Amino acid sequence: MERFVIIGAGAAGISAARVLRDFRPNDVITVISTDETVHSRCMLHKFLGHERDAQGINFAGVKFFEKNDIIHIACQTVHKIDTAEKKVLFGEGYSAPYDKLLIATGAGFFIPPIPHFREAPNVFGFRDLSDALKIDEAFAKGKRVFIVGSGLVGLDAASALCQRGAEVTIAEMAPRVMPLQTDDYAAGVYQRAFEDHGCKFLLGIGASDAVVDGEGNITEVILSTGEHVPCDFIIMAAGVRPRIQLALDSGIAAERAITVDDHLRTSAPDVYAAGDCTGLSGVWPDAMDQGKAAARNMAGVDEVYPKPYPFKNTSNFFGVTMLSVGRLDLTEGADILVHKTPTEYKKAIVKDGKLTGYLSLGDISNLGLYLHLIRDSIDVSGKLDKIFRLTFADFYGINERNGEFAYRAK
Amino acid sequence: MKRIFIDPAKCDGCKSCTLACMESHRQDGGHGLYTLDLTDPANQSRNRILSDGQGGYSPIFCRHCDDPDCVRTCMSGALVKNEATGLVDYDAEKCAACFMCVMACRYGVPAVSPDRKRMVKCDFCQHLEEGPACVRACPKKAIEVREV
Amino acid sequence: MNSCTDCLSRNTCQSADKPMENYIRQLPRETAHHRVAGQSTKCGFGLQGVCCRLCANGPCRVTPDAPRGICGASADTIVARNFLRAVAAGSGCYIHIVENTARQLKNTGLHKDKIRSEQALNRLAGIFGVTGSDKYDLCVKVADTVLSDLYRPEYEPMELVEKLAYAPRVKRWKELGILPGGAKGEVFNNIVKTSTNLSSDPVEMMVSCLRLGISTGLYGLQLTNLLNDVVLGDPVIRSAPVGMNVIDPDYINILITGHQHSLFTYIQDRLLDEDVVAKAQAAGAKGFKLVGCTCVGQDLQLRGEHYTEIFDGHAGNNYISEAVLSCGAIDAVLSEFNCTLPGIEPICDELKIKQICLDVVAKKANAEYIPFNYETRQADGDRIIDEIIAAYKERRGNVPMNLFTDHGNKNTLTGVSEGSLKSFLGGSWKPLIDLIAAGKIKGLAGVVGCSSVAYGHDTLTAALTKELIAKDILVLTAGCSSGGLENIGLMTPEAAELAGPNLKAVCKELGIPPVLNFGPCLAIGRLEIVATEIAEAMGVDLPQLPLVLSAAQWLEEQALADGAFALALGLPLHLGVPPFITGSKLVTKILTEDMVELTGGRVIIDPDGASAANTLEAIIEEKRKALNI
Repeated sequence: MERFVIIGAGAAGISAARVLRDFRPNDVITVISTDETVHSRCMLHKFLGHERDAQGINFAGVKFFEKNDIIHIACQTVHKIDTAEKKVLFGEGYSAPYDKLLIATGAGFFIPPIPHFREAPNVFGFRDLSDALKIDEAFAKGKRVFIVGSGLVGLDAASALCQRGAEVTIAEMAPRVMPLQTDDYAAGVYQRAFEDHGCKFLLGIGASDAVVDGEGNITEVILSTGEHVPCDFIIMAAGVRPRIQLALDSGIAAERAITVDDHLRTSAPDVYAAGDCTGLSGVWPDAMDQGKAAARNMAGVDEVYPKPYPFKNTSNFFGVTMLSVGRLDLTEGADILVHKTPTEYKKAIVKDGKLTGYLSLGDISNLGLYLHLIRDSIDVSGKLDKIFRLTFADFYGINERNGEFAYRAK
Repeated sequence: MKRIFIDPAKCDGCKSCTLACMESHRQDGGHGLYTLDLTDPANQSRNRILSDGQGGYSPIFCRHCDDPDCVRTCMSGALVKNEATGLVDYDAEKCAACFMCVMACRYGVPAVSPDRKRMVKCDFCQHLEEGPACVRACPKKAIEVREV
Repeated sequence: MNSCTDCLSRNTCQSADKPMENYIRQLPRETAHHRVAGQSTKCGFGLQGVCCRLCANGPCRVTPDAPRGICGASADTIVARNFLRAVAAGSGCYIHIVENTARQLKNTGLHKDKIRSEQALNRLAGIFGVTGSDKYDLCVKVADTVLSDLYRPEYEPMELVEKLAYAPRVKRWKELGILPGGAKGEVFNNIVKTSTNLSSDPVEMMVSCLRLGISTGLYGLQLTNLLNDVVLGDPVIRSAPVGMNVIDPDYINILITGHQHSLFTYIQDRLLDEDVVAKAQAAGAKGFKLVGCTCVGQDLQLRGEHYTEIFDGHAGNNYISEAVLSCGAIDAVLSEFNCTLPGIEPICDELKIKQICLDVVAKKANAEYIPFNYETRQADGDRIIDEIIAAYKERRGNVPMNLFTDHGNKNTLTGVSEGSLKSFLGGSWKPLIDLIAAGKIKGLAGVVGCSSVAYGHDTLTAALTKELIAKDILVLTAGCSSGGLENIGLMTPEAAELAGPNLKAVCKELGIPPVLNFGPCLAIGRLEIVATEIAEAMGVDLPQLPLVLSAAQWLEEQALADGAFALALGLPLHLGVPPFITGSKLVTKILTEDMVELTGGRVIIDPDGASAANTLEAIIEEKRKALNI
């Protein structure tokens, strides 16, 4: 009988808990989380947009812990891991002993060192349910919101709030929105969609200073151009950093993220890490995979964690869907193929007969195929004339043994 | 678990499976192929018969994979791999219509519903006692249910 | 599976004729009834009529992802096109029949051959308004009048239409602009119309179906009967044996299949000549007999009064032809039209049955083709006879016999026509009209047309008929449906027991069954003459009569052309399964709803006998109410 402890109830933490229970029907499993309930980060905008309540974004299912006989310690922050005595310390003098521990603390939003931003009470991230609740409160008092960063998180928050009637201004350092996922054309499509819904973009501009009131709330953002923009609250969507403070405080190796080997083990014995805190990837499915792989290793299965998905992002705003996968920016020595119609925009980056990057705006069919082609470096040199219309029929194969599909060279 | 095995060499592209799937999932209360509305997008089939480019056909049917891309990518908990049946079940109520699953399946199986509020995928006709309608409709016996 | 005879599926389809169902199940060879199971997966696109195979870009099918063919044709266009093409083909079949029938009448006149009914000849001459120097000349004139109409170009209206059809109907047809041009030209034109990237006007195409229906009904149906009456003799009501019991193994038996009785005029007499009988006897048989199957058999049965020596009786309808051939006592098949199933080819090979085809349109792969040619009929006839005798000698004793001697019955009422029935009633329709007015007969139902097997052999036809007579509705039949109903005894006087109380009383008093057999499907035209005469007597138009039609188990394109005539006449027409139209909401609506405003008729689709009978009864009651009876 072993005692398993998991710190964090996000994608990695929950999927690890599930797998551990599968392998060990009778062992003790404990999950410690700072939030009260499990929630899907990817659906926070639905919560903020008042489309769903907290239960509605609980991806694990409301009675997950009860059904699986897992102890859930909510609203607690673990402040130290005693790797010698093998126990975690949290709250006011509480501790939980472990035989195996999983750190799944995720990542937290990053506030750059702009004057006043780190101290102001009306600067929020958009990462956890608690962030969303704070934003809700702030929105009740004022409708003018300034969002720093036009990545997916910033646009998520923007779309939720402008649907509720907010006055949204978004500042982005790069010259286009969603700079990492789009090219100029695709970015333009999204920008127009957001502008049509009342959002205002400040591109190629950053925030450099602020005006505060008596309580330290920022009342005006001062741009790098010197312009002043009045606001009621600010959402920081300028990137996240893996939450490594706990590891550092506990003597577990971490640099930009918690260091793990190919079995997701940290430098401390019987301590594993999975999800955004490992910095291996920042994508939900990868967090799920890592959680499962770590759990299997913790349960005694010797399993190497496979390479994560290539850089991949999907977005769906105001009915405009887009997927971008791989490296759209690495175009040296590669062929760039473009397909453009009034309703679709697609771009493929092909290098040495392999697809290295793909973007599709509008048409989301068969995109999993392209993801797989990039991830497994499958040769597409004979198919360039229909590179934008590929289906699984072009790679059709069947695993005779279990009936699943298999990619075959054709 | 049970899985629909496919022998693509036997497929003639007749699409009887496609029609059977449409019939199995129709919502207008009617019965029989005569009255199945073939032009209503709400009646889209969950299987697809694609040309293989060489005169044959590549039947695309949900595999209810052992390690499903769609379940891994679902961030609302709507898609789950059912422990008991082994099938990938879909709860439309939980679904957030993010369509990550549509964009994740490496075989391109899931589709977006016409009202863009849910995803459309094979449910193994669990609502029918006799099992998947497509299998029973295939005149070439190109698809059959087997235990794996 | 279909070609494997070692492991034949014992899963044969059901039949309303249970003894026949058992007989077929025990057969050591495959028939249509065996093949139903293997073909039970139907293509949904085909069922709905939305598969188009007209051009090399196809076949195109209508689906939510692809609601139009590559050319842009909508489901409405594809369905209407397919349907019109079928009606045109069906019309062509009937026009072929009437053309050959008219030619034989002409030959009869030109060669002063035997005229069996001068009364029939004069009747036609009267309708057409032609005279002749003598009866032979009259034959020629009458025939030429018909042929000249058939050969007219489609842009010239046919002249006999107004003479043959009921005046109020003609008036309506003129209003709708559907008076047909030359019958062959109409068929030709509509084949052209329905070809690739030509018409894409579904409404115009459906209206064209009505035009083809009129041409089919007046010429292909009505006139064929009346022309046949001249040369082959008027129908006379009589009691006759039906079913496989009619087959007498002591004779050289020839099965006839088709619709063109006039092509047998010579040979049916020749077979009785002394020298021919002697040849048969020398071979070991008592003589020759013709065994009826399909509509030509029904026609011979209809006129059986004149052929008691040569005709044994009608064995059954098209879908038991394979079973009939399996009895071993059929020595030859003479075919000239449908339904001559391809399925008989291996059976004839196996059982050494000589196949001779008289009209190339019904050529079997292994049949000898001896086309009927009036000029050479004697030499051809003798050749046919000699070959059949040779077959008889070779096969008897060398092939297994599997007689079905207790199948069918001995006392089916046949020979009913508009003429014989009216005579039976005393020379006018008044007695019948009075019975209807008094409610002793609630109404009339024509349960006509084909026999099909995919959903049961005659099962719907029989079920519907039983329901209708139980509701005191007198049933008139014509076609292979007759062949099925008579074999299960519904046309014997004893069948009156199955009728409702009022109808039963009428039948017992008159000594008739509750189901009256008009003979071949051609005789649907006779039924329609009855309807016209009754309407005329009552001073109403056809849609007002308490009369309904059902082609419950319609089979083929000819049935659809017949159906188009029924709609043009303004009658409600029941079909068991939709004629590949449901893929088009527009076409379905035109046929099942809008048609009422156009012509007064409409299509009712219902695969269930009880429910269809209820619907038809309700229609009859509605019409009665409107007539205040």
